[in-house]
Amino acid sequence: MSEKVGVYVCHCGTNIAGTVDVEEVSKWAGEQPNVVCSRDYKFMCSSLGQELIEEDIKEQGLTRIVVAACSPHMHEKTFRGATERGGLNPYLFEMANIREHNSWATNDKEAATQKAKALIDAAVERVIHHQPLEPIPVEINPTTLIVGGGIAGITAALELANAGNHVVMVEREPSIGGHMAQLDKTFPTLDCSACILTPKMVDVGQHPNITLYTWSEVEDISGYIGNFKATVRKKARYVIEELCTGCGICEEKCPRKVVDEVFEAGLAQRKAIYRPFPQAVPKYPVLDPPNCTYFERGKCKACQILCPTGAIDFEQQDELIEIPVGNVILATGYDLFDSKRIPQYGYGRLANVFTSLEFERMVNASGPTGGSIVLRDGETVPKSVAIIHCVGSRDNNYHEYCSKVCCMYSLKFAHLVHERVPDAEVYNFYLDIRTPGKGYEEFYNRLLEEGTHFIRGRAADITDAARLPGEEGKLIVQAEDTLIGKQRRVPVDMVILSAGMEARHDSVDVSLMFGMGCDFNGFFTERHPKLDPIATMTEGVFIAGACQGPKDIPDSVAQGAAAAARVGGLISQGTVMMEPVRASINKEACSGCRICNDLCPYNAIIFHEDQKVSEVITALCQGCGTCVAACPSSAITGAHFTNDQVLSEIEGLLWDVRERQAVPA
Amino acid sequence: MVKKPTFSEEVANLLHASHGEPLKTCIQCGTCSGTCPVAEFMDYTPRRLIAMINANLKEEVLESNTYWYCASCFQCTVRCPSEIDIAGLMYALKRYSIWKHLYDEDAVGPVFSETFVKSILRSGRSYEPVLAPTYIFSYGVREFLNEAHTATTLMLKGRLPILPPRIKRLDNFKKMANRIIPMGEA
Amino acid sequence: MKTFSYFPGCSLEKMATSYHQSSVQTTKALDIDLQELEDWNCCGATTYFHVDELLAYTLVGRNLAMAEKAGHDLVAPCSACFKNAYFANSYLKEDEDLANHINYALAQDNLQFSGTIQVKHLMEVFVDDVGYDTLQERVTHPLKDLRVAPYYGCQIVRPRKDHEDVENPRFFEELITAIGADPVDFANRLRCCGGSLLITSRPAAFQLIYELLLNAQHSQADVIATACPLCQTNLECYQMQINQEFGTDFKIPVLYFTQLIGLALGLPPKKLGIGTEFVSADHILTFAKEPA
Repeated sequence: MSEKVGVYVCHCGTNIAGTVDVEEVSKWAGEQPNVVCSRDYKFMCSSLGQELIEEDIKEQGLTRIVVAACSPHMHEKTFRGATERGGLNPYLFEMANIREHNSWATNDKEAATQKAKALIDAAVERVIHHQPLEPIPVEINPTTLIVGGGIAGITAALELANAGNHVVMVEREPSIGGHMAQLDKTFPTLDCSACILTPKMVDVGQHPNITLYTWSEVEDISGYIGNFKATVRKKARYVIEELCTGCGICEEKCPRKVVDEVFEAGLAQRKAIYRPFPQAVPKYPVLDPPNCTYFERGKCKACQILCPTGAIDFEQQDELIEIPVGNVILATGYDLFDSKRIPQYGYGRLANVFTSLEFERMVNASGPTGGSIVLRDGETVPKSVAIIHCVGSRDNNYHEYCSKVCCMYSLKFAHLVHERVPDAEVYNFYLDIRTPGKGYEEFYNRLLEEGTHFIRGRAADITDAARLPGEEGKLIVQAEDTLIGKQRRVPVDMVILSAGMEARHDSVDVSLMFGMGCDFNGFFTERHPKLDPIATMTEGVFIAGACQGPKDIPDSVAQGAAAAARVGGLISQGTVMMEPVRASINKEACSGCRICNDLCPYNAIIFHEDQKVSEVITALCQGCGTCVAACPSSAITGAHFTNDQVLSEIEGLLWDVRERQAVPA
Repeated sequence: MVKKPTFSEEVANLLHASHGEPLKTCIQCGTCSGTCPVAEFMDYTPRRLIAMINANLKEEVLESNTYWYCASCFQCTVRCPSEIDIAGLMYALKRYSIWKHLYDEDAVGPVFSETFVKSILRSGRSYEPVLAPTYIFSYGVREFLNEAHTATTLMLKGRLPILPPRIKRLDNFKKMANRIIPMGEA
Repeated sequence: MKTFSYFPGCSLEKMATSYHQSSVQTTKALDIDLQELEDWNCCGATTYFHVDELLAYTLVGRNLAMAEKAGHDLVAPCSACFKNAYFANSYLKEDEDLANHINYALAQDNLQFSGTIQVKHLMEVFVDDVGYDTLQERVTHPLKDLRVAPYYGCQIVRPRKDHEDVENPRFFEELITAIGADPVDFANRLRCCGGSLLITSRPAAFQLIYELLLNAQHSQADVIATACPLCQTNLECYQMQINQEFGTDFKIPVLYFTQLIGLALGLPPKKLGIGTEFVSADHILTFAKEPA
């Protein structure tokens, strides 16, 4: 009995119909073998379009459906739904992409129409060989892994935990808090960053539903949505957490000082055993062996000797912990652009050129200078400060993108200088002032009222080579003041470089480990830039915060909450239906060669010693097809991608060059 | 009907084969002008000149002294965030000005350039003494005397060519040049 | 023994004859063979590009084609010649149409450009082909305590953006260190000397030269080392005028880096062309001493 195929050619407005002659194609399709019904319609995805399919199935007894329209990514689900409502198994449907793969790729009408026919014929030939399939239910483990303890990660963790779900948070640094913990005041409200952050940090640390691993990293992850297994390396702190009271004597008495490159941005020192900042969560310090006298030479041990509870353990080892989780939220944050890459700005060579993070630490009340704005010598108060916008951003030579937050934080810096050094002259060298958020433009106005000098011109050079009177002993910023059209040299005491946010240096490795992707700038790729910014192309892995792209605190919080809501939805569903596109091994045909076992990237194939045959674990299989292709006995079938289906599709594509033969159903 | 190109289109055509981005991608950041070591001598800074070109202010652009002041140090080109070859633009404007003979007869830059080119086509090598008259009178009496003094000192130290050098295969050379631009007798 | 095709350029014939002499002498002493390109023509400098781009590339193309015929990479001591040759070479390699057009003209001199050679600045030969270590070993008269201002100028680094850190090159300083001298922190080391503006816009050039000399004086340099005949001429031959114009008292000798290398290798100053300067470099000679 031959199949009865219904073909529907979508106009998609003018998206397809503007290039492909849809009426002709539809008419042509109707003349092909096995096609009993062929229509063209303006918008197949509309409810009317879908109803056409449903009605035709019922009235004409159709057994297979082909829709020629946009990408399956867009509407495969939609049309499978329509097929199912019509009474057919949804997998008896095939989509031909005549938009992204055809009408959107060319202006040549003739070629596009020809190609549309080929794609439709391919779909028709293929769909005849489709078999009904049932989706596979997968249980969602209600525990969520959140990688990264900055504000985005913290928000996501609290949202999920407060809803009663268990969360495991893994943070690479000794304390959670991220970059936000380094900041002093936050724009535009100028509220104290620590004041708004630390209560949340404490909540995370104390929450009964949150298991916090700091000074830890995810080393490996395997599995699939609802059923991941993460291996976390809990690095040795050399402190026994159960015994440590957080009194801080070890840190106080430690004789070794080391420049703190991470939290203090290189502006201050810490001890070899340390907490990064006083409000650290958890309160347990961390010992840094490369800089520890005991690890170097076997001497000292002051911390161990003086610890009142005996919590120091020099023999402590890294721990590898396996954690089963259902979903993952990556909230790994950003790195600051390295200003040394722009030698003409003098960072690293000229003492009083500071990066934005260095300046943040400087103005922070609990920072290295107690909040005083001073030069590198730690004493001199600058009388003039230049703030350079767009360092490393909007520049094809470094990062093409605009880093979104720098204008606002540059204005914030200007304000802080005005506040703490009332007579100081402040110069902001900018390209554009980008203040799109709530209260942001008003903040800019405030800075104008405070008497900040705004010079529109990208700084070309920062130098100490004096040329004109008044420049001796100063840092000179040379730029064109484009609004007056003249090159200017402005001598100042201090320069702050508003460097941009860039992706973490290891973001590519992280994305590979979690099986999703990065863009060319290293930021994690979202599923859809507008409609789904917190999901990735990998089911069960979500992203939130600056790791997705430069953004400020309100947006990071929003994304953290959004990711938590999505995960929360999956958890409350309890079960997720997975695509039945899986491989299966025909035991009779299997010769037990085991070639497939090692090829499977998902470790989804097991070997039965007793029967000497391999078997695919359906739940782990992702339907990649590697084993199907590799099996020398052709014993493995890929559901929904059988040899008959694929070969028929190829025959269909070559409709205009092959001998016409009806392929037996 | 063929439309006459606007000035910005003319310049875009001139720069088509160059290895920088088109002028229309300029974001007017001012890095070029901020960097240029001779910006203070130009009546319009390089950035402003690009804005004027994009606005089709042909006469003002060609009459400005900006592009003749360019020393082609390429610092602007190397730093431009939009990767525009600004020094290349200055060369293009010089060529435009010379082709259309839009310059003042007593302007040193264009006259020097044309004389230099002629001397090379004549002998295949450059010869400083023939270039002297193009500039030696342009900077005032004191500078003329200074330059004469410098020239004499150079000559005494054996650093000034007396006789004009020539390449051996000069005939072929001239024929070669003719295949690019038919120049007749140089 | 490495061989290169040597393109002296018009300036090295007379104006910068000391650069030519010291180049040849020092490379010979370091087992580098420079074979002068036979019948080379002017590269066009910056000036030819003011008039006609295509013909300018043709001029350079002729030299490149002759170097290809000779079968060795091309080395140019003059930064402007180097820049023209380097970029003409790379553009002709990338752009088939351009190469065809130029080859059509080159055929009149029985030449063809095929893109088979590389182009190097003379300093790159010392840095890459000789190497700092070898150079240091061969130095017999290290220039101890000689404060040298490394003046890169423009076209040895720009506009090659792929070049080792175009905003912060260190190879000239390392070369100076290798010959035993002290490279000073010369802030304007990458700033233009004015080049041909000396002819076409003298006041601008004077301003640039003044600023360079001022900076060198501030850095307390004993000598400025250059890699381009135009830079050397501008910085050196006009110090008297600059002093007149700006009321300064500059008397800083300006030598080619090859002359300094030659002194460090113990070569006789006369052979390095020392003695033809406007600002005497005789006192520099005393720094070239055999170590005790």
